[in-house]
Order: sequence, then structure tokens, then C-alpha cells
Amino acid sequence: MLRRKTENKTKNLIKQLPKATAFVDLNLDIVYVSDSLLLKFECEEKIQNSSSILKLFPHLSKKWKKDFDNTQKGFENFPKTSKYFNSNNELNWVEWEITSWLNEYNDVVGSIIQLEDVTKKTEYYQKFKKLETLVEVKSQTAKIGSWEYNATTDELTWSNITKLIHEVSEDYIPNVDTAISFYKKGPCRDKILKCFDNVIKNGIAYEEKLQLITAKGNSLWVRVAGTPFFENNKFVGIMGSFQDITEEVLIPQKTKESEQLLRTLIDSLPLNVYIKDLESRKTLINKSEADFIGLPMQQIIGKNDFDLFPPEIAQIHRNQDLKVINTKEPVLGIENRNVKKDGTVTHFLSSKIPLINEHKEVTSIIGFSLDITNLKEKESELKKLFEISSLQNKKLVNFAHIISHNLRSHTANFSMLLGFLIREKNETEKANLIDMLMTASDNLLETLDDLNNVVEINTNISLTNKKININSELNTIQTKLSSLIKTKKALIKNHIPNCTTINGTPEYVENILLNVLSNAIKFSKTDKENIIELYAEKTNHYTVITIKDYGLGIDLIKNKDKFFGMYKTFHQVPNSNGAGLYISKNQIEAMNGKFEVTSEENVGTTFKIYFNENN
Amino acid sequence: MRIINAINIIDDDTITVFGIRKLITTVAECNDIKTYNNGKLALNKLRDIIANNETLPDIIFLDLNMPIMDGWEFLEEFIALPIEKIIKINIVTSSINKEDRDKSELYKCRTHHCLSYNTKPLNVEEMKIMTTPL
Repeated sequence: MLRRKTENKTKNLIKQLPKATAFVDLNLDIVYVSDSLLLKFECEEKIQNSSSILKLFPHLSKKWKKDFDNTQKGFENFPKTSKYFNSNNELNWVEWEITSWLNEYNDVVGSIIQLEDVTKKTEYYQKFKKLETLVEVKSQTAKIGSWEYNATTDELTWSNITKLIHEVSEDYIPNVDTAISFYKKGPCRDKILKCFDNVIKNGIAYEEKLQLITAKGNSLWVRVAGTPFFENNKFVGIMGSFQDITEEVLIPQKTKESEQLLRTLIDSLPLNVYIKDLESRKTLINKSEADFIGLPMQQIIGKNDFDLFPPEIAQIHRNQDLKVINTKEPVLGIENRNVKKDGTVTHFLSSKIPLINEHKEVTSIIGFSLDITNLKEKESELKKLFEISSLQNKKLVNFAHIISHNLRSHTANFSMLLGFLIREKNETEKANLIDMLMTASDNLLETLDDLNNVVEINTNISLTNKKININSELNTIQTKLSSLIKTKKALIKNHIPNCTTINGTPEYVENILLNVLSNAIKFSKTDKENIIELYAEKTNHYTVITIKDYGLGIDLIKNKDKFFGMYKTFHQVPNSNGAGLYISKNQIEAMNGKFEVTSEENVGTTFKIYFNENN
Repeated sequence: MRIINAINIIDDDTITVFGIRKLITTVAECNDIKTYNNGKLALNKLRDIIANNETLPDIIFLDLNMPIMDGWEFLEEFIALPIEKIIKINIVTSSINKEDRDKSELYKCRTHHCLSYNTKPLNVEEMKIMTTPL
């Protein structure tokens, strides 16, 4: 009776246990079971007193059996976990622990099994594990290490990454003092000390970029952060991250250095350098280009050639740019003439190179221009000099021909006449030959005089220049030519304003005007009124005197070479030996002027004399 | 003494003309020596002769450097004249330019007349050749 009472009491006690518990006998049949077990594991129907415990989770029966066997033999078991599906077919986790059931004599009379639904716990654990892995992976790829300071124990722990960054081995044990000693002496170390102090005393988190010297002596930049953590509002330690940001710090610094280098380089080049986008807007220019354009750099960036240069010049540039963009081929070493809005002309030797991206598209144009204005000027000076010297040379050759021809013709005559004289017996004929020799001699002297004149004109470098009034000069000449004017019945119509002056050597000017005017008078048509007209006009660098006649004229196409040649005459008129115009031409050229003649047979001749004003 | 019907001298230099005339008389006999001061005057006369069917000269002495119409211009027009007879044309010049001599060679190829290039001063031997009949 007493035993039964006790047993009921026990049964009731176990029935109420909060933890799911069952007592089984040595046959694994249930003796006592807690309501919590039946309820939590939905097995009120499956399990009653004296049914086998193994029925509860048939898929675990093997494992349980082993544990039960262990306990019956007096061994201990560790708690174990396994999954199962509940009535709703949801995944759940159960933890079991099987221990020995002893009687008062310490005999094993069965086993006690305690179950716990660990579904939530397992889920959390798995989530935690996942996160931990994730953090690990992340910290490894991002090279972010972590550290923790336990204020209670004054212990400092570093994650592997943190150790790796410090270049210490994995078994290295840091403390606060050694950790701080890694920071570079000076501002960096002062800063970390201050931050650490501040977080301990005031609980203020920190994040700093600092320089660190590793255990192997390498210099690094690190981002170190520390956050205090509390338990029950009591400061217990610091957790923080630790990251190597050397590249992050150094790359912009290097970029800045490269930029500085590039800038200095292109600014120091004796070339105009620019980069243009596809719309020909300047995106980068160097100092030379800015100086050339004459605006501050910021005002040029973004502008195209049409904003900076006259439209016709800008269009030429734009067309070149388009060619480079379209063909993707550079244009190298072309000569460009540039005119600025203020009219300054600059000659450039330019190259334009397309900048091509990885998709083989032109993204911009790089241009180089070398100012060759000086070179161009020198070149044109040289050209001019060359022209002058070839002209001089031509004149010299011509002159040499004239001399050789004229002197030869005279000497040939001498030689011939002397030959006759030697053989001549007849005295009258002898006298005749001597007369002829005299004439030949006079002719030679005259020719020599003419030639000497030409030489003088061409060698007289320091000519005396005077301002000469044209009309008073013409009046003097007309007086000198008065008999010719009279015989030729010339009517001179002078349209030249009285104030007209020219710069020149008086003797030359007189000779030129005398020659041209007398030619105009001489070669008149016999049947017509002999009108000569005189005009004056100013052109760019010249005062032009025009002498127009309505006389015989000549076919200039046929006689181009002979017109100013020495001893060339075109019309049989007394007193025209052909030397006059040849000498005049030499004279006007000596004064940096020129002649221009238009003539038509039987219509007349217009003779223009260009007197250089800057002579 | 060989007898020549007619000779023309085209030269503006009186001394040269005198010399040529004098040399001719030493090697040949000619009662018709005409002188012209330039090519144009000679050409006009030759045209008249052709038009009137008169006798053309057998020999022409031609200077190159003359006013109004020079020797070359004369040659250019002369070779175009309708003359069947072969006329001996002796260029007499003081020019020893190769250019001028080459130019005369060109004219030689362009005409059936007999062209020669001679430089002054002339001598009797040269005159003999110049007056040799064809």
C-alpha cells in the first residue's frame, strides 16, 4: 500500500516535470513519462505507459538503443542532436540525453531520457556559423582584420588577418602596449593613444587612418576602428576592425604625382599641346597653347575652334579633326596657318593623333603644334633672296653675253679692216679704210660707255635718295626733248596732280623718264596725231607713272625677251641705238622699282613705271 | 673669176657690209649686190620679186642681230616663201654662242635652201666657200 502510494507520488511528480523526460525499464518500456514530452513531441497517441520508448522516433531507435545499452552498462552519454519532421512535416531538431536510472541500492533499474526541442537553437547556431564564415571570407578578401580588448582581463586579441597585416606569426600574442608600438612614432602614435584613452574613459568610438610599421619593418597605411561594448551598462571592452589601406592611400597620391609630372612635362614642352573631344572642344591644353590663345586655361577648356578663331580658320581645323576621327589615322607634320581673332598670323607644324579606346572607338584627338612662324619667315626671306640672286645671276649672264657679243663684233670689224689695210696698195682706198677704222673705234668707245653705265648702276649700292616732284622733273625733260617734240608734232597731255612726288635717285629718275618719254614720242604713226598721255597713281608700295602713246606699238609676245635687251631696236628711227631702255631697266631695278609694259602693234604702248616708296 | 648673178647682204653694220662687199670682189664677179639694213626690208623686197616673177638672188649674207626684224625672224619667214630655187644663205655673225649655232642647225633641217653658219671676222678662204655655186 505504501509502495503504491509512493509510486503514484513519483508518477505524478515526473508527469509534471517541465523538461520532456521519460523513465524506461531495462526493456526500454516506458515506466514514467512527463506530460511535457507527450505534448512537445506530439506523441500522446503513439506512446502510453509501458509502450517502448523506441516507438517515439523510429528513425532514431538505433542510436537510442546504443545509448540505452551504454547506460545499462553503467557508462555515460553525451547529449546528442538529430533532426525529425513534426506532424506538419516541418524540419525540427531534437536533443536527447540518456542517463542511468538507479535505485536506492545504486543498481541500474532502467534509463532516463531527456528530450529537448532544439530547433530554434540549431537554426540560430547554423545562422551564426554561416555569418561567421561570411565574415571570415569577407575579412580575408577585404583584408579587414578584427581585434578585441577585454577590459576586465586587460587582454588584447587579434584576428588572423590583423596578425597578417602586422606581419606577425599566427601564434603572436599582442597586448595594448605592443599593439600601440607598431604605430609610427610621432603624430600617428599620439593619435592612437589618444583614441584608445578616449574610448576607455568616455566610451567614444573612433576610426582613424594611421601609418604603421610592421614587424618586418614595412610601412603601411591602416584604417583602425574601435567601438566600446558594454554589459549591463558597464564598459567591458573594445571591439574593432583593422584594415590595410596602403594602396587606397598611395594610389591617389601616385596618381596625383603622375598628374603633376604630366602637367609639368606638357607645360615645359616647346610645343602647343591639346586634347579635343569629338566635337573639337578642348578638354586639356598646356601652357604654350593657353599663351598662344591668350586666355586663361579655364576659359579655353570646353571651347571649340569656332569660339577661338575666325570661322574660315576654324573650319579648316574642324575638317582636319573630322578626318582624324573618321579615318582613325593620325595626321602628322602638316603645315597649318593660323589667324587669331586679332589678326596675328602664326604658322604651325601640326600633328593630330586619334586616341582610341579598347572598343576601337576614337574618344578624343591629341594635338601637337610647333610654332614655325620664324622658320617660315626665314624660309620666305631665303626664297626672296634666292629669287634676287637668280635674277642677278641671270642679269649677269645676260650682261656677259652682251659684253662678249658687242665687243666681239667690234673687234671682228677691227680685225677685218686691218686685214684689208695691210694688203691695200691704193692710197685712196687706204685712207677710206682708216676712216672706217676710226668709226669702228668710236663705236667701240660708245659701246664701252654704255656698258660702263650699266655696271655703275648695278654696283652703286649707296644711292642718294631724294624726294622728287614728278611734274617739275617732266617739265625739265620736255624742255630737253623740245626739238624731238616739235619734229614729231607730239602733244603731251599731263594728268598728273602737281603735288605728286616720288623717292629716287635724281639722275636715274631723269634718265628713265627721258628714255620712256622719248620712246613714246619717237615711235609715232606718221599719219596720226601724236598724243602722249601721262598719269600717276598710288598703289601699295609704289607710285606708278603711266606714259601712254598711240604709236606703232610692238608685238610683245614675239619680242618679250628683246624688249629690254641691250641694242635691240624695233623701229627704224634715227637716234635709237637700243641701249636706252636697257639702262633704264637697270636703273629702276636698282631703286627697287619695276617696269610694266602693254603694247599692241599699230595701237600703241602703255608704259608703267613703278617707283618704290620705301626705296 | 666666177660670176654670180645677184647677191643680198642683210646687215645693219656698215663696216661689216663694206667688208663683205670687198671680200666678194676679191673672189667673184657680181654686178647686182643689194644691201638691206634689217630683215624686214629684205623680206619686203623678196616678196616683190616673187610677185613680179623677177630674178631671186643666188646668195644671201645674213646678220643675226638687227633691229626691227632680226636674222632668225627673217629666216622663219623666208623658208615659208614659195621659192623653188635653192638659195645659199650664209649667216654672218659675231656671235660664237653655241646656242645660236645649234639654232642654225635646226633651220638647216627645216629648209631645202643651203644654210651655213659663219663667225666674223671673215677671210678670203671663207668667202670663196661662201660664194661657191651649188
